[in-house]
Amino acid sequence: MMRSILAGLTEFALTLVVVAAVILAVLVPVALSQPDAGEVLRLFLLGPFGTMRHVGNILELATPTMLTGLAATLIFRAGSFNLGIEGSFFVGGIAATAAALLLPLTGFIAAPTAIIVGALFGSLACMVPGYLKVRFGASEMVNSLVLNFAFLYAGVFILNYFLRDPNAGALMSYRLPADFGLDRIMQGTRLHTGVIVAFAACIIGGIWLYGTRGGLNLRIVGLGPGFAQHLGLNTSALIMRAQIAGGLIAGMAGAIEVLGLYNRFSWVALPGHGWTGITVAILARENPFLVIPAALFLAYLQVGGDMLARNLAVPSEVVGLVTAAIMLAVTATAIFRHPAFLRLIRDIKGEEQAA
Amino acid sequence: MEDAIPIVAFDKVAKTYPNGTVALSDASFGIRKGSIHAICGENGAGKSTLMKILFGLESPSAGQVMLDGAAVNTVTPDFAGRHGIGMVHQHFSLVPSLTVVENIILGHEPKRGVLIDARRARDEVIALARRYELDVPPDARIETLSIAAQQKVEILKALSRETRLLILDEPTAVLSPPEIEELFSRLRDLRDSGLTILFISHKLHEVRALADTVTVLRAGQVVDTCPLAEVSDAEITRMVMGRDVDVSRRQRQAANAPVLLELKNVSTAGNDPADRLTDISLTIRADEIVGVAGVDGSGQRGLAAVLSGLMALSTGTISFAGTDMTRASTAQWRRAGLAYLPADRFTQGGTPALSLMENAIAGTDGDPAIQWGPFLRRGAIRSRVQAMVREFAVRTRGIGERLDSLSGGNAQKLIAARELAGAPKLLLADQPTRGIDVASAAFLHGRIDAVARGGAAVLLITADLDELLRLADRVIVLFNGRIVADLPNKTDLTPAALGPYMLGLETAA
Repeated sequence: MMRSILAGLTEFALTLVVVAAVILAVLVPVALSQPDAGEVLRLFLLGPFGTMRHVGNILELATPTMLTGLAATLIFRAGSFNLGIEGSFFVGGIAATAAALLLPLTGFIAAPTAIIVGALFGSLACMVPGYLKVRFGASEMVNSLVLNFAFLYAGVFILNYFLRDPNAGALMSYRLPADFGLDRIMQGTRLHTGVIVAFAACIIGGIWLYGTRGGLNLRIVGLGPGFAQHLGLNTSALIMRAQIAGGLIAGMAGAIEVLGLYNRFSWVALPGHGWTGITVAILARENPFLVIPAALFLAYLQVGGDMLARNLAVPSEVVGLVTAAIMLAVTATAIFRHPAFLRLIRDIKGEEQAA
Repeated sequence: MEDAIPIVAFDKVAKTYPNGTVALSDASFGIRKGSIHAICGENGAGKSTLMKILFGLESPSAGQVMLDGAAVNTVTPDFAGRHGIGMVHQHFSLVPSLTVVENIILGHEPKRGVLIDARRARDEVIALARRYELDVPPDARIETLSIAAQQKVEILKALSRETRLLILDEPTAVLSPPEIEELFSRLRDLRDSGLTILFISHKLHEVRALADTVTVLRAGQVVDTCPLAEVSDAEITRMVMGRDVDVSRRQRQAANAPVLLELKNVSTAGNDPADRLTDISLTIRADEIVGVAGVDGSGQRGLAAVLSGLMALSTGTISFAGTDMTRASTAQWRRAGLAYLPADRFTQGGTPALSLMENAIAGTDGDPAIQWGPFLRRGAIRSRVQAMVREFAVRTRGIGERLDSLSGGNAQKLIAARELAGAPKLLLADQPTRGIDVASAAFLHGRIDAVARGGAAVLLITADLDELLRLADRVIVLFNGRIVADLPNKTDLTPAALGPYMLGLETAA
C-alpha cells in the first residue's frame, strides 16, 4: 500500500517537473521579448491568485470543463473514444434555452427542469455514436466527430427559426426568463451555483467508479474486454450506459453554462468546452477525483494567459501554445514507460525503502 | 573435455531486488562448451533472474559472470548479441504480420545505403536455415505458420547472429509429442555442430531425454549441478521440490454417475481452425474429467468457446443438467454453474491493470457478503481475498497490487481461487498449468480433482500429456475440429499412443 502511494507520488512529482519545464521553455522566450520579463512570468503564474475576482474566474472557467471532463472520463473508461461530448454540451445548452423559453415554469423548479431537459437532449449526441458502435461496430470516434457538426447546424437552425429574437442585433435567442438563471455566489464574478454541482458530480463520479459494483464492471469492460466477456458481463449494455451517462453529464454542463452565465443563447459555433473536457480527462488519467484539479489547472492557465493578453502586449494565442505544450508533455505517458525514467523511479523507491 | 574452460560460468552470483526479494544467492556453476545443459526449478526458484543476468537485462548484486573464463560486465548495450548469446522465449516475440525473413533480420537488417537490402536479407535467411537444417518458408507471414514452425523461426532468429550459446525457455510447452521429438533431434544436431544449448524446463522426462548436464535451482540457490547419467529422476525431483511428490493418477469414485453435459453434432463456422468444430458429439458425467488432446489449433478453443457462450453454434445442440443450453449466453452458463480457467490468463482470466482484489471479486455481482446495495464493502472484500490468497498459496506483494505484478503461475492460482469458489457444476480448464512449477501444478490438479469429486463435469484441455493422463478419466483427441479418438484412460494409455491420433494418422472414435 505504502509502496503504491510512493510510486504514485513519484509519478505525480515527475509530472509537475515536466509541466514546470514546459511552462518555462515556452514562456521564457515570450517573456524575454517583453520590456519587463519578470512581470510576464509573475503575472502569468501568480496573477490568477492575485484577487478573489480572479480566483472566481478560475472556478467559473473550470465549472463546465469539470463536468465535461467527468463525462469524457466515464466514456473513456468504457473503452470507447466517443467525442460526442462537445455535441452534447452544445445540444444541452440549446435544449435548456428552448425549455426556458417554451415551458411556462416559475420559481425554484424552473432552472432544474431546464437543466434536466438539456441533459436529456444532450445525451443524444453521445448515444447515437455509442449505439452505432455497439450495434454495428462502426467507429464511434469518426461518427461522433461528424455528428457533432450535424447537431451544431441542427441547433443553429432551431435557434434561427424558433428561438431567435428579431429585435436583437445578432443571431441570438429571446431573453431567458429570470427564474431560469442560476444564482450568483460570489460578488464581482459570474460564479454561479453550477460550480457546486460540478464539484459534487466529480466526487460522486469518483465514489461510483471506485466504490461500487457498477464502477468496477465499467473498469473491467474498459481495461479488459476479453475478461468482461469471460465473466459474462453484459458488455454492450455497460458500454451503452456509459455513453448515456456521459452524454447526460455533458448535456447538463451545457445547460448549466447557458443558464449560469448568459441571459440569451448565442452559440453559433461549437463552444469547445467538450474538447477541453477530453483534455481534462486525459490529464486526470481518467480518474473522476483528479478531474477537479485538472480542470482547475487548465482554467488557471487560461486566466493567466488572459491576464497577459489584457495587461501586456502578449498575444492571447501564447496561452494556447503553453497549454498545448503541457498537454503534449503530460499525455506522453510513453515518457514514463521509458526505461531511464522507470529506473529513476525504481532507484528513488529503493532509497525511500532503505531510509 | 573435463578441464576445458566453460563457455559460461556463474561465480557466486546473487541478486537482491530493491524491495528486499532475494531472487538468487551465491549461485555458482559452469556450462560446458558444446553441451546441452538443463536448468530445473520451480517458478520463483531464480531461473528467470539468472537468465536475465546472463542476457544482460539485469545486473547481479554480487558475484560475476564469466564468459570463456573472463569476467564480463553483462549490463552493456547489446551484450547478448555481441557475445553470441541467443534466446528463445516461452512467449514468442515474432511480429505476426511480418514475413519469416523480416522477423529474423529485425534489429540487424543488412543495409544498402539507408534501405534494407531485401535480396541479401532473404539469401542470408535461406543460408541460415540450410546451415542449421531448420526448414521454414522464407516469405510466409508468421500468422500463417503453425506454432511448431513459428518456434523454428524463433530459433533461427536466435541463431542469426553468430550464436554460440542458445537459451531455450520452456520450448516444448506448445508442441505435440512428435513435434517435440523433432525439436529435440534438431537440438541434438545443433549441439553436435558445436553449439552450446541452455535448456530450461519443468518437465523431467524432457530434461532426461535431451540434456547432458542438469543444474537444479531451489529458492534462489543452486542445489546441485551434475551429469544426468549420475542422478535418478527421483533424486532430481527431490532436489527441485525439497521433498517427494505424489504423481499418481486420479481415482474416480463411481463410473456410472448421471450425464451432466451433452453435445450432439455440434459444428461451428470459424475463420481460424482453432475455433472450427465439425460434428462433435460428447457426453460428460458428473465426477468425470474428460481430457482433450490435440495439436494446438485443432478446435480446442472453439470447444471451450461454445461451452461458455462465447461462440454460437452453426448446427447441433448442447444440453447441461437437463436444460437446453444451445443458445445460452456466458451469463446463463455462469448461472448454470460454469467455472472456466482460460488458457489466456491475462486477457481472459483477468485484467492486468486492475488489482488482485478487483480481479478476485470480479463477476460476483450482487453477493451480499461483499456488497451493500451498489457499494463494495472494502473490509469484507479485503478479508475474503486475503483468505483466497492464503488458501491457494498465491505469492503476492499485497492484494492491492496489480495482477501483472504476479508471475504467470501465481496469477493462475488467483484466477483458480475465483473460479473454483462456490460449487461449480461444469469446469472448463484450458491449459490450467502451462508454465507453472511442479508444486503449484500438483496443487491445481488436486483442486480440479476435488471439483470433479464434488459432482461436477470437467473438461480438461491441455497440451501437457502427462497432466492429461494423470487427471482424465477419458481422453478425446481432436484433429481438424473433429473427435478422432475417444479412449478410456487406462494404464496402458501413453503419450506415445496418443501421437498418431493427434496427427490425424489414425482414428478410434
